[in-house]
Order: sequence, then C-alpha cells, then structure tokens
Amino acid sequence: MSRPDTLRASIRIAATPAEIFPYLVEPRLLVQWIGTWADLNPEPGGVFALNVGDTPVRGAFVSVDPPHRVVFTWGVPGSAALPAGSSTVEILLTAEGSETVVELFHHDLPADELPQHEAGWTSFLDRLRQVASS
Amino acid sequence: MSRTQANRPSGVEAGSGPDAVLRALADPQRRRMLQLVRSHELAAGQIATHFDITQQAVSQHLRLLQRAGLLSERREGARRLYSLRPESLEPVRTVLAELWPDALMRLKHVVEQGKRQKQEERMTR
Repeated sequence: MSRPDTLRASIRIAATPAEIFPYLVEPRLLVQWIGTWADLNPEPGGVFALNVGDTPVRGAFVSVDPPHRVVFTWGVPGSAALPAGSSTVEILLTAEGSETVVELFHHDLPADELPQHEAGWTSFLDRLRQVASS
Repeated sequence: MSRTQANRPSGVEAGSGPDAVLRALADPQRRRMLQLVRSHELAAGQIATHFDITQQAVSQHLRLLQRAGLLSERREGARRLYSLRPESLEPVRTVLAELWPDALMRLKHVVEQGKRQKQEERMTR
C-alpha cells in the first residue's frame, strides 16, 4: 500500500560549494538554518542527529563527498510512518558561475500513511496537529 | 456563537487543509469509514452495514470526510461510491514539503550573510 516518493527543493546561493558545504556537516553551522540542536559525524555510517522543534530526527550519513554531495538517512524514532533512518536526504551543490545551485532530494518518503490500527491514529493525529498549528 | 453555527453538526463547517482533516478525523466512526475504503471503493449503503447508526448519519459523515478532502465520491447510476484519497493523508510529506524550502531559504541567508561579514572584516583590517 505504501508508495515511496521523493520531495525536491532547490535554491541558488551567491557562494561557492566549498563555502556552503560546512553548513551541511558542522552542527554549529547546520543549526543556523535547520533545527535547534545537532550531533553530526560526517563520515559514512556516522551519526546524523538533529532536533527540529520538538521532533527528534535520527539517521546516519551515507555518503560525504565535499564540497559537492552529502547523503544521510532521516527518520523519527517511534514513528510508524517514518521510523529512524527510513528515508534518505541527498543534497547536491553545483557551481554555476560565481553561484551555487543547491538541490535537495528527500527520497523514500511514505506517500500513504493511513494508520493500520487504531493505536496508530494517536501519533498520526499528533503530527497532523503540529502541521495545523504551524 | 450564533444559532445557525450551534445547530450545525460538528465539523461540517470544515473546509480543506490540515484543520479540516483534523476535525474530520476526530471521530472514531469516521476513521473506521476511511479504513473501510482505503483499498477499494464502497457504496454508502455498504459502508452503513458496518455501523449501528442510520444511513442518513452515515451519509452525513461521508459528506464531511469528502469536504475535508479525505474521500473521493463517484456516481454510478443511483449509487454513490466512496474511496480514500491517500494524498490527503500526508502529514509527513506536508511537514517536509514546507520544511525544506524554508530551510534552504535560511541556508542561503546565513551563507550569504556570513560571506558579507567576512568580506567586511577583510576590508576594515
């Protein structure tokens, strides 16, 4: 029933890939643009831990190729729809003149997560409530 | 609160969006209705056989779910067939679909601002 899916977002930044890359792998720099707390060990298999608001995001680095590409897994412990490490985020930095195009792909997302059991509805509704109030 | 609002069945005023979806899902009977039609279409009458409430009450619940965007309705002769619209139940995707573009905007801002600060420091040195 679950249909894996990918989200894509991109932006153009007036900086080189080498200037941007540290912001993807250094906790102090990462939390300036996403999350409030991070613990990162940017090497294959290394920990990727990030708190976004009240939500703990947990995964591991899959691939770290400075300054052009970083891949890490992404999930929420205890979530039935998106368990820790279940989806994958890929960020590509491509120089274009004096600028860099940042492309972000979030792969393997559940496209259909209607809870199977009544118990599953609780966390589902909690998440939905967060969306509604944000 | 006006009388018309007070007389309305709860949640019927719901439009679409997360608020409407939340209100629609607040009721356990409506949640069971969604589960019944998650993998195949059912007519309103078939859905009603699973509940101890009147067919009219079932229809009212179905209309509310449809208005919240959770169900799609198809007419076949005199029958109305209902099925789940899975794309309406995507809070995870919704969160991330909003999170990433906002985050990248902030990334652009902090990188470019950090760069400007460094340049200014160099110039004043």
